[in-house]
Amino acid sequence: MTKLCGKRLNNHEELELVREDLLKHRNSGTKSVCVCVGPGCAAKGANRLYELFCEAVRQSDSKVKVEAKSVGCHGLCECGPIILIQPGDIFYQRVEEPDVAEIFRETVLSDRIVERLLHEDPSTGEKARSPDEIPFYKAQNRIALAYNGLIDPANIEDYIAAGGYTALPKALTTMTSEEIIAEVELAGLRGRGGGGFPTARKWRSCRESDGSPKYVICNGDEGDPGAFMDRAIMEGNPHSVIEGMVIGAYAIGSSQGYIYVRNEYPLSVERLKEAIEQARQWGFLGEDILGSSFSFNIRINRGGGAFVCGESTALMASLEGRTGEPRAKYVHTVESGFRGKPTNLNNVETWTNIPPIINRGGEWFAGIGTEKSKGTKVFSLVGNVVNTGLVEVPMGITLRRIIDEIGGGVRDGKRFKAVQTGGPSGGCIPSEHLDARVDFDELTKLGSMMGSGGMIVMDEGTCMVRVARYFTEFLQKESCGKCTPCREGLAQMLHILNRITRGEGDVGDIEELGVLAELLEGTALCALGKTAANPVLSTIRYFRDEYDAHILDRHCPAKECRGLFRYEIDAEACKACGICLKNCPEDAITGEKEVPHVINQEKCTLCGICWEKCPFTAVLKV
Amino acid sequence: MPTVTIDGCKVRVKKNATVLDAAKKAGIWIPTLCYHPAVSCDASCRICMVELERGDWRQLVTACNYPVREDIVVYVSSERAQQARRGVMELLLARAPESEELKALAERMGVKETHYPKVTESQRNCILCGLCVRVCEEIIGQSAIGFAGRGVDRTVAAPFRQPSDDCIGCGACAVVCPVGTIKLRIHKDQQEVEISPFKSRAKLLLCRQCGAPVVSVQVSEQVMGKVGLDCEEFRERVRLCPKCRKLQSAAQLASAPIRKKQ
Amino acid sequence: MAEETRLIEQLIDRYEGDVGMLIPMMQDIQAEHGYLPASDLRSLSKRLEVPLSRIYAVATFYTSFRLAPKGAHDVTLCMGTVCYLKGSPDILEAICREFQVEPGGTTTDRLFSFQAVNCVGACAVAPVMLVDGKYYESVTPASALEILNGLYPDEDASEKEDEA
Repeated sequence: MTKLCGKRLNNHEELELVREDLLKHRNSGTKSVCVCVGPGCAAKGANRLYELFCEAVRQSDSKVKVEAKSVGCHGLCECGPIILIQPGDIFYQRVEEPDVAEIFRETVLSDRIVERLLHEDPSTGEKARSPDEIPFYKAQNRIALAYNGLIDPANIEDYIAAGGYTALPKALTTMTSEEIIAEVELAGLRGRGGGGFPTARKWRSCRESDGSPKYVICNGDEGDPGAFMDRAIMEGNPHSVIEGMVIGAYAIGSSQGYIYVRNEYPLSVERLKEAIEQARQWGFLGEDILGSSFSFNIRINRGGGAFVCGESTALMASLEGRTGEPRAKYVHTVESGFRGKPTNLNNVETWTNIPPIINRGGEWFAGIGTEKSKGTKVFSLVGNVVNTGLVEVPMGITLRRIIDEIGGGVRDGKRFKAVQTGGPSGGCIPSEHLDARVDFDELTKLGSMMGSGGMIVMDEGTCMVRVARYFTEFLQKESCGKCTPCREGLAQMLHILNRITRGEGDVGDIEELGVLAELLEGTALCALGKTAANPVLSTIRYFRDEYDAHILDRHCPAKECRGLFRYEIDAEACKACGICLKNCPEDAITGEKEVPHVINQEKCTLCGICWEKCPFTAVLKV
Repeated sequence: MPTVTIDGCKVRVKKNATVLDAAKKAGIWIPTLCYHPAVSCDASCRICMVELERGDWRQLVTACNYPVREDIVVYVSSERAQQARRGVMELLLARAPESEELKALAERMGVKETHYPKVTESQRNCILCGLCVRVCEEIIGQSAIGFAGRGVDRTVAAPFRQPSDDCIGCGACAVVCPVGTIKLRIHKDQQEVEISPFKSRAKLLLCRQCGAPVVSVQVSEQVMGKVGLDCEEFRERVRLCPKCRKLQSAAQLASAPIRKKQ
Repeated sequence: MAEETRLIEQLIDRYEGDVGMLIPMMQDIQAEHGYLPASDLRSLSKRLEVPLSRIYAVATFYTSFRLAPKGAHDVTLCMGTVCYLKGSPDILEAICREFQVEPGGTTTDRLFSFQAVNCVGACAVAPVMLVDGKYYESVTPASALEILNGLYPDEDASEKEDEA
């Protein structure tokens, strides 16, 4: 290891010497066991696996050089815990503690594959050896997630050896601010947090604003339920965010940055803190970065638990030690934002895209995606889909390809019903639009939006009215309460939706929801309120018949709303075992041996116990 | 100076003046609730919505804080703007059904009633306009009350919902409240003024002459401090109620010697 | 008294008296005490020269802040229709009586915070009680009390001894 390692780097040349040295060391035949400890795998015990592998490395007396690394989310969370073995890119899934010894002995030391731990394609039965053989990964194009799963996020050397901190010296020492902004403009990068605002335009406005100091902020307040893309980046590749921010700050003329991380992500805060400290030690942050005479520091703030703080002005209020209430944006934050100064705020994924754009050029980036939506987008593909996890795809890919090819289709053989995108500000898209190309404008045209990247697949058993009610309730709980339409309007909408899902809907309720939706969109103060009616509007647009059934027939077609469907016993399937009868708390079931049982609808309280207990699936929801 | 064409009427205003300023100049009435010229504006009530024309599309903006920076066209009486304002008022009427002041404003706007049920709790018709909070912070400098909670549970309260130690009993919050939620209660026997519903109390100065309550002790001391007149006569006069003060002045004038012209 | 001023001074130091760091300061206070004591907030207000009403606004705006001490454990009793029919009111009564606690409150010894909710969706195994997120099924007044009494630290210690 060069003597420069661990000491502050004074210039570009020193950095390249260190990088060369790191690569030499890494190519010297060391085997790496990369254990994914992203959110999904960690919940399944991956941290323990990592410990076991470390132990195995320690105790090994083999001549083979091995290292165990904990790495960030690789994406295929459904199949976690995931282990990758380098060199060779060997992908093992659903690894359990008893497998550790075998993996170490067979694959790591002896280059033999443990077949049963390989990924198997559910339709063809084919086993894949590495990620590029797995359909889930094949259709992806990983730019933001490129290093996830390959590097130890707690080790800056991994990032440097993989090619990180190449864009930073290039930008700071060979490019002017205008050249950097021009490159980002050529790339056509649009904000990845949901707004989709052209990044270069924002940077330029901030740069041109009067006032100093200028601030640069990273929005890590990922609040959409079902979204964890930013978490995977903050925890799997924190240096990419730092590098992006340094470059942006340099282009804008800011010397102080903040990363605002939601309170519910303590591990992200830890990883970022470590990364910032390392970056500072190495000289990528602080005074006179790499001899460029540009100075920049980053501070981390945690949120207090408020979804609304994902809104930029609310976030800035929170950073100022206030309640997270948004304010009017007639004067933009790039003109007057944090502390009344010109402020540029971007989402985690947006910042992560900056180093690749600087390294490979805006033109390269613009070559991916559609006419108005360039590059890739990370989505969290969750819900009733076979392969749940994180995916990064080029803009313009169809919903069908994401859900079927990458996602493996709807699980348990059920039928697709809708895909929800954009979180609480978005909407539900039905099967007739599955061939829509995913980009900012297409999704908006369909009544939803890209949002931060949450993509929730819903099957036929999902009641869309209930979904609308869920999001409305969520937004009501998270509304800051400052402006009348959001605070009172959402309460009125929830009141109506509650009535409808209880079977107390009225003719005219749908029109009323429409009136409230229009009122919110026109008069609410911030984007939370303005887009709050989207879940309701999109479900009314595509699933009107379900609303009508709830209101006019007092019936829930998906059979999810309690009280709005019945339980009936299928006389043919019933084996008269008597289990339902015995368990019914209302004694509403009658029957004898060999006689199909019958539910007395008058006595039935719709508790569902019979449906749960029947071993022959003879109790049907009707 | 940019020009605002508001409902066809052209007025010129200083740069960064608001659409509301322009409307006032043009003599066009726009309803307001959370706006007050004495304190900062946060456009939270949304009752002053108007339509703004931007090239080939129109958007709704709040008149009280939209800054005029170039020539713009504004529609106050358009169907969309009126509908927006009325919709907001209906929501407020549902929240605060017993405020006479609110009903009067609604009438003036052409809103006879609301078809929404009451689904949120409001402390005595509070519409959360925040004027009381801002007056107490920005003008009085005491910040005795503030917002607490979030969303539909948002309220105006003194810290820990206990009577505030910082309240000086000036009553500015009651004066500025547009819906009559905040009231002053004089407790004669305890010589205290209570700000309802915050339960904060302050000692009252009683008239030295007739014993009637004059003003809170702290307010009179603050005023004394601000005026900076430190003479016995002034201090004595402050401890009289307005009626007794007038009587005293009249008596002084009556007994004052007539000054002959020299 | 000195205890809390010492913590406040540490915080002022740690965050260089920056009012913008009010939320991290309050998070540190809560990390220390498990909640935000009113006395600490008053001291913070004086020391930072920030109105108490603003600190109270922040404390009540963000869901992560607690103004009252929380119990060491979270206990939730389901009062949904089926649980109700299967006797959860009796269980509720037994818990309230034994531990002198009301739904929404915390036991005086801060053993647990208690909530009664409307259906946790496990109707097949009613009545249902959750302790720290763990489901207990087919609960009776007697078994519920046994489970909750088992939360006391000395019980845990004796269990650990048995394992060792």
